[in-house]
Amino acid sequence: MATAIAADLEPASTRTPRIPTRLLPYALISPSVIVIGGILAFPLGMLVWLSLQHYGLRELIAHSGEWVGAQNFQTILADPLFHQVVLRSLIFTFTCVALTLVLSTLIALLLLKVRQGVRIIVMSALVFVWATPVIVTVDIWQWMFDYEFGVINWVLTQLHVGNFIHHNWFDNPAQGLGVLVLVVVWGAIPFVAITLYAALLQVPGEVIDAAHVDGAGAWQRFRFVTAPMLKPVFLIVTTLSTIWDFGVFIQIYVLLNQRPSSDYFTIAIYSYRESFGVTQYGLGAAIAVVMVAILLVVSVFYVRETIKQAEIA
Amino acid sequence: MKPRKAWFSVIGLAAAVVVAACGGSSPQSTNPADETGTLTIWLMNGSAPQSVVDGVNADFKAKYPKVTVNVEIQQWGEIGTKLDTAFAGSTPPDVVELGNTLVAKYAAAGALEDISGKKSTFDNSGTWLQSLTDSCTLTGKLYCVPYYAGSRAIIYRKDFFDAAGVQPPTSMDQLLTVGQKLMQAHSSDPNFSALYFPGKYWYAALPFVWDFGGDIATQSGGKWQGSLNSSSSQQGLTQLNTLVTALSRADKTGDEAKQDDAFAQGHIAMIIANGWEVGVITGKDKSLTDKLGAFPIPSHNSGQTAPVFLGGSDFGAAAKSKHLSAANAWIQMFTDSKNMSQMATVGGVIPNTTSLLGLGTGLNGVFYSAAKNSKFVPNSPNWASVENANVLPDMLVKIFTKQQGIPDATAAASTRITTILSGGG
Repeated sequence: MATAIAADLEPASTRTPRIPTRLLPYALISPSVIVIGGILAFPLGMLVWLSLQHYGLRELIAHSGEWVGAQNFQTILADPLFHQVVLRSLIFTFTCVALTLVLSTLIALLLLKVRQGVRIIVMSALVFVWATPVIVTVDIWQWMFDYEFGVINWVLTQLHVGNFIHHNWFDNPAQGLGVLVLVVVWGAIPFVAITLYAALLQVPGEVIDAAHVDGAGAWQRFRFVTAPMLKPVFLIVTTLSTIWDFGVFIQIYVLLNQRPSSDYFTIAIYSYRESFGVTQYGLGAAIAVVMVAILLVVSVFYVRETIKQAEIA
Repeated sequence: MKPRKAWFSVIGLAAAVVVAACGGSSPQSTNPADETGTLTIWLMNGSAPQSVVDGVNADFKAKYPKVTVNVEIQQWGEIGTKLDTAFAGSTPPDVVELGNTLVAKYAAAGALEDISGKKSTFDNSGTWLQSLTDSCTLTGKLYCVPYYAGSRAIIYRKDFFDAAGVQPPTSMDQLLTVGQKLMQAHSSDPNFSALYFPGKYWYAALPFVWDFGGDIATQSGGKWQGSLNSSSSQQGLTQLNTLVTALSRADKTGDEAKQDDAFAQGHIAMIIANGWEVGVITGKDKSLTDKLGAFPIPSHNSGQTAPVFLGGSDFGAAAKSKHLSAANAWIQMFTDSKNMSQMATVGGVIPNTTSLLGLGTGLNGVFYSAAKNSKFVPNSPNWASVENANVLPDMLVKIFTKQQGIPDATAAASTRITTILSGGG
């Protein structure tokens, strides 16, 4: 007791830290590890555990599943619908990401050139789109593409593009998926455009001017000067867009009245339908596990590139 | 694993409570006047007029003064998911209204109380509508109380028929010719539908399948086999496809949720609808009251009517409920003769007992008599999954939008139905 009090009375500067320096980094990182473990690793572990069981309504009510090993995975891998769904998800994601990046880059470059007033208007519009809740925007899109009362059909007919009275945009899945790409890309552009614009501001003007003097055209200046400097930012927004677009759910689910036909299934919708529609929670979990695995493969590539970039810098 | 053990003991305890509650037979351990707590009831949107609900709650309050009744109105859209999660929890609603096609699933999973021993405590249990009683029965045990039924017929605009000089048809072929005359009479209106038929409206497609002798699935030796691809089913769907192509401008990928709104706007001559939808339509436009008529869906055999789908709802008490006696008392009051008469006269639905079928007069009479020639979906615990997987709506959309021919679309749907009904995803 006496020594402890004595120690407390010593000036702070001379006190030795309780945690050895060697362990300090671990002590500092442990709260985040615990939080990430609690909110990510544990549910993910539960998902994998669920995917190895037969888990229907009876099991759900009894809170105990029946262990079936890899049977759920065998079932989905043998299911032709699942192959279609994975392929569709990949193409859908690729299309959305490519369009988002191209259009966002063009908007970011445009923002550099326009007058202050125009820039403020465009930026406000972008932030407004980004800030509006997805559910609200998808509801509005649904009304615009409505079969009977939609403004899109009315405008296209008025403009003499063709007879769009009672045109059903979701009759033909290729056209319907096109509408979905439009809605997803529209919602994704603001974040990417603003991020790229911020990055463009960091590109030194002298370098561009020098290239100009050397006779580089607009495309060459972008291709050989601007784009390489933006590469780290491009990598980050591509990774994030891929992750978001691959998991797209709300847009499809709400736009198609919560009852998308199997032609519109992406992997997230398929997993939801098997779990909560057909009450095969084990099968739904197995689909979700495959989805996570595909995303991991894609992400590992981007993360590796990002680390390489960081090392160069 | 420890958590698993804990769950088992909870289940054991719950089972013990249930056994104790049921095993006490007639004299309940607690007097109704002393029972406390909250009784949660899930009613479906639009099923009961508010006056009936209020009346039942007042009667219940008189018997159980210390129990609070909490009636929550649920939407049909995602009800399957909501019920699954509610029954999986430890405090599900005590009483649930279940669509008659959903009961088998929850009864088989052990979510509903077996009330076989209490059947006689409910009014009119000897004269309940047979098909509703069947929907409540699984392997010889009773799991719910019939609530109401609904069957569909064709609601039509008498003024449109008069103007076009046509009479209600008495055969499917006549339905087509009457419809074509109406289309001609309204050829200047690009929004006009003689028979408005949204693509996903599978309840209204079944009469055509059944009328030609087809069915969704047939059972032999305890195994279900999808039969929408049988030649008679395909004949019915071909007939329907002809009608839809010629007479309907409804959304081929839409469902029937908006059909009453659409009908009230005045560009539609006929819809296939439930009796209570007459009230919904006149509620939107009072001037239509005298212009509406109804006739049964005609058969392809002239002079006969096509069998219709008998929809409806039942009341079940949750097996995990902590107030089973109060829950059953509430169901008893709701389904007694007094309130069933109210449901028929105010609510416009078919009551749960044959003894009250005389209440169907005027337009309602058409829907009541349609119920006499009615059929039901396969009564299997897995049927709800067929519904939730949208097998029939998807098939109809593929046919109406001409993405697939009838043979291919029906073959795919039949295979899927066989798989799901035999327990697979």
